[in-house]
Amino acid sequence: MNMTTTSNPVLEDSADIRTTPRRSVGQMLLSSGTVLALIALIIFFFAMRPDVFLSFTNVKNILYQVAILAIIAGAQTIVMVVGDFDLSVAATSSLAGAVAASLMLGGMPIPLAILVALAVGLLIGLANGLLIAYVNLSAFVATLATLTSVTGLAFIVTQGTTLFNLPAGFNALGQGKFLEIPLPVFIAIAISLILWFVLKYTTLGRRWYATGGNVEVSRLSGVNVRRARLLAFTIAGLVSAIGGILLTARLGSASAVQGDDNLLFSVAAVFLGMTIVRSGAANIVGTMVGVAIIGVMSNGLNILGVNAYVQQVVTGLIIIAAVTLSSLKTRSR
Amino acid sequence: MRRKFITLTAAAVAAALMLAGCSGSSGGGTGGDGDKAFKVIAFTSGNQTPIGAWWVKAVTAKADELGWDLTMIQGDFDFQKMNPAVESAIGQGADVILDGYTDVSSIGSIVTAAKDAGIPIFAVDSGTEANDAFALNITANQQGIVDETLGALDDQLGGLKGKTIMVIGHDPHAGIRMRAGLAADDLAAAGATLAGGAIQKVTSPATGRTEALALVSDFLTANPGGLDGVWVGWDDAALGAAQAVTEAGADAKVTGVDATSEAIGGIEAGGAFLATVEQPWPSILDSVMTAVQAYQKDGTLPSSNFEAVDTTLVDKANAATITPSDKLK
Repeated sequence: MNMTTTSNPVLEDSADIRTTPRRSVGQMLLSSGTVLALIALIIFFFAMRPDVFLSFTNVKNILYQVAILAIIAGAQTIVMVVGDFDLSVAATSSLAGAVAASLMLGGMPIPLAILVALAVGLLIGLANGLLIAYVNLSAFVATLATLTSVTGLAFIVTQGTTLFNLPAGFNALGQGKFLEIPLPVFIAIAISLILWFVLKYTTLGRRWYATGGNVEVSRLSGVNVRRARLLAFTIAGLVSAIGGILLTARLGSASAVQGDDNLLFSVAAVFLGMTIVRSGAANIVGTMVGVAIIGVMSNGLNILGVNAYVQQVVTGLIIIAAVTLSSLKTRSR
Repeated sequence: MRRKFITLTAAAVAAALMLAGCSGSSGGGTGGDGDKAFKVIAFTSGNQTPIGAWWVKAVTAKADELGWDLTMIQGDFDFQKMNPAVESAIGQGADVILDGYTDVSSIGSIVTAAKDAGIPIFAVDSGTEANDAFALNITANQQGIVDETLGALDDQLGGLKGKTIMVIGHDPHAGIRMRAGLAADDLAAAGATLAGGAIQKVTSPATGRTEALALVSDFLTANPGGLDGVWVGWDDAALGAAQAVTEAGADAKVTGVDATSEAIGGIEAGGAFLATVEQPWPSILDSVMTAVQAYQKDGTLPSSNFEAVDTTLVDKANAATITPSDKLK
């Protein structure tokens, strides 16, 4: 696949919103609503706990808590760019973590176990891509089926138990620090930057956006739509596996369903992020804003001692608000 | 054409008669009929948990040993799938039903079907209080679990009065809900302060460890040095809480319940994980099986339908002698 770098500004760069002339205040509010929501949340929690919320320790805490979600949301972003979605990202991440843990406990060297786990994620993504792009199954059906099977495989690999006593060198990937900042934060930033670069500056990214915009027009324009979707799902599987391996290292253990909530939150983050670009397309910058909203909200509500059930309600309401914003924007265009 | 129709009708009638003959066997209400194999339906929703998986194996082995005709139904926490499967099996007839780790609140339709068919249900850890749904339900003593774990914290902290303790629970699990409530009440009675002002709730057991990790991390960030202990209703979440305490460099101690390998390892390591509780599932299952065999013999039902058995506190002193709950044979 050609990876020539080209700019893809309209779909990917939220900064272009600010240079668009003659936009009403309402339109601007709609476009920047998600960013404003993030700022409002930060101001609110800072006002409630000025001594704590923006302290280095707490900001580090938030970044640590959302690092793995950021990676899996990055995977979800890719498939949502091509106009699909992937229900199996969290299950794939759990299976990859379980495979890595199982192999290491069986005596396999850490790098090799990680490579096999990454290959597992890649293969699941490839299977999703083949089913969707070449067998023409809907993404919902194909990834739902994969989610089911992959969860079963994770139970088989873990034998329904929690695998632990992993090598210290492996756990350091998730628990180690550089400059007092946990390693998963750096890894999440690196992966996000790579995905951002691919989406914004490469032909592959342009083809993904074109496919997501209009499959038929893309096909008639010479884009190999099938291959584009296949690659999107394959890379999403690989990135999900990275997230799962890091989660296992972070917790020092692996179970079949330990990353389950990352499915809902990754979709929520991408939806939240879709509101910040004019096109309403999935984009990495927006997804990271969405991830930040989820992380800030969860951390802030925890600090204020708000009940976890209320937190779930608020998360759902924010997703509804984000989707409504997207819908209003689409109508206003 | 007419001959074909008659032949098909005759075949259909013959098949119906054969099916009717097959389904006419076995009914509930007595302790089994002489020559026929004792027919047992066993079900659990928790087969994907280590203890649930052990229960499935142990019941199957016991049924083989006793020559029972066992139908094992594994529900994967999916009651929409499990309950109709069990009701269907009840419709086929059985002498006894065994419930493993499935709370009575989730099996109302099964209880009704069993009562209608006159089949007694013998259960392991399927409710925290006596309930007419069961001929017998044996579980762990929730108050005993709380007494042991809070006692360990009390000893370690030099008393609970004036201490700040976080209680982490999970409401959908009846046992955890009950013991978390008891722990919160007892802590308040002992003069301790509940961190966050209430029981902290984990929403999903699948993500219990990460949720507990975040809860304790965030609390310690907001209140450095402000936590003396964390009482958690089950080990997986307790491990997340202990990790948060360790990462924050805090002195708080953590207790759990379940005595999993990982928790016992944490206790032996001498870090933040102070103690857990062993629930004697093998002996509980033995007691239930003994009651079932008495019923099989002459239809005798237990005199009491509920029993809460004592548990064992697992701390550094005895951790090496405990069989972890995920390694039960």
